[in-house]
Amino acid sequence: MFMTRSEYDRGVNTFSPEGRIFQVEYANEAIKLGATAIGIQTNEGVIIAVEKRVTSPLMEPESVPKIFEIDAHLACAMSGLNADARTLIERARVEAQNYWFTYNEPMSVESVTQSVCNLAMQFGEGSDRESGSMSRPFGVALLFAGIDKEGSSIKPQLFHADPSGTFVSYLAKAIGSGSEGAQTALQDAYDKAMSLADAEKLALQTLKQVMEEQITAKNIEVATVKVNEETNMPQFKKYTHEEREEALTRNGVTTAQAATASE
Amino acid sequence: MSSTDKTVLASAGFHGDVLTLVKRIGVRMQNYEYQHRKPMSTPACAQMLATMLYGKRFFPYYTYNILAGLDADGKGCVFSYDPVGSYEREHYRAAGTASALLQPFLDNQARALARIPDYIGRKNQQGVVFEPISKERAMTIIKDVFTSAAERDIYTGDAVDIRIVTKDGLEEHRFPLRCD
Repeated sequence: MFMTRSEYDRGVNTFSPEGRIFQVEYANEAIKLGATAIGIQTNEGVIIAVEKRVTSPLMEPESVPKIFEIDAHLACAMSGLNADARTLIERARVEAQNYWFTYNEPMSVESVTQSVCNLAMQFGEGSDRESGSMSRPFGVALLFAGIDKEGSSIKPQLFHADPSGTFVSYLAKAIGSGSEGAQTALQDAYDKAMSLADAEKLALQTLKQVMEEQITAKNIEVATVKVNEETNMPQFKKYTHEEREEALTRNGVTTAQAATASE
Repeated sequence: MSSTDKTVLASAGFHGDVLTLVKRIGVRMQNYEYQHRKPMSTPACAQMLATMLYGKRFFPYYTYNILAGLDADGKGCVFSYDPVGSYEREHYRAAGTASALLQPFLDNQARALARIPDYIGRKNQQGVVFEPISKERAMTIIKDVFTSAAERDIYTGDAVDIRIVTKDGLEEHRFPLRCD
């Protein structure tokens, strides 16, 4: 893969003479093996859709969560190592609650992403085993989707965080094994004025395109963050199995028969 | 008294604690702006002050605080505190040495446009018409209550520092009192 494979790819504390830290680059490769996740930002809110690899008919798909609620206004989708994601998700939740405790308002999506990235880049710190910090980069990429509220105006947000602890804001972003194809599809079809319903269609169609398995309600996860009309507050909502079936049929991604046939 | 252009704090009590508290709040607000890339809102600062005070629950800052500014909707807000962090958003509040004299005076005179009209201002009076309080009227009331306090409270005197927060910025005034 790399021209110069040498001792430099062993430690996380050493740059190669070309100025690279191989372990971080390998972590990025680990994500490219992970299931595809897509996030799309609209003026109404943000939608995230994730592929879930169901490796056995005896496996319970519900037991492998891919989308996590960080706070009421903030969702996170992952691709890569599930176990690594849990550590980062835990940090995000704690930071969001601490912020709310101190300031009595929801933490901004960017600040949550920043705090998770601070943890993501602490790998290799502390020489002893007791320090408790990670000895390697996290092999996971995250999409943070949420809404910042400033007075009566709302600002939907989507951030992508990678193993190096870098984060970038996106209008639409795909991560994981199908990310290259999906990102191109998003680039072609994304429109800044699109509705959340349009974004749902685009997310599911793109996911269908890049998934190896046939897309069904069982092997995807979908969630939105949008303003709840009753409370007028941003609200995280994960689609139920029935809602996923409905969404797939509604957007013509699968026919009604195909959805039932897959049961 | 300490302030940014959106948030002002009036702090009475032991001056050493006041200085330390004000300095710590300043540091926290500056770091907040660096970390979150936005200035701290007044309601956020209000909650932070409460946690700071409660953090010293068993060796408290000997301070009586009133925090004021504009909320997320651009409306005026006043937060009052006890020394260990109980706090409440209100329309008006007096604190410090003459607070027991001033608060009933404000209850009687301040006619804030209240969400609960029979609770706020012109208390215990009949046939009161509630109307929004103007900046000029608020200024007059403030000067009057402090003049009264200077008459009856021996620890009140010299001058009043007045800050007015509006959407256009901060105004500062100084109103001299009896100097005896």
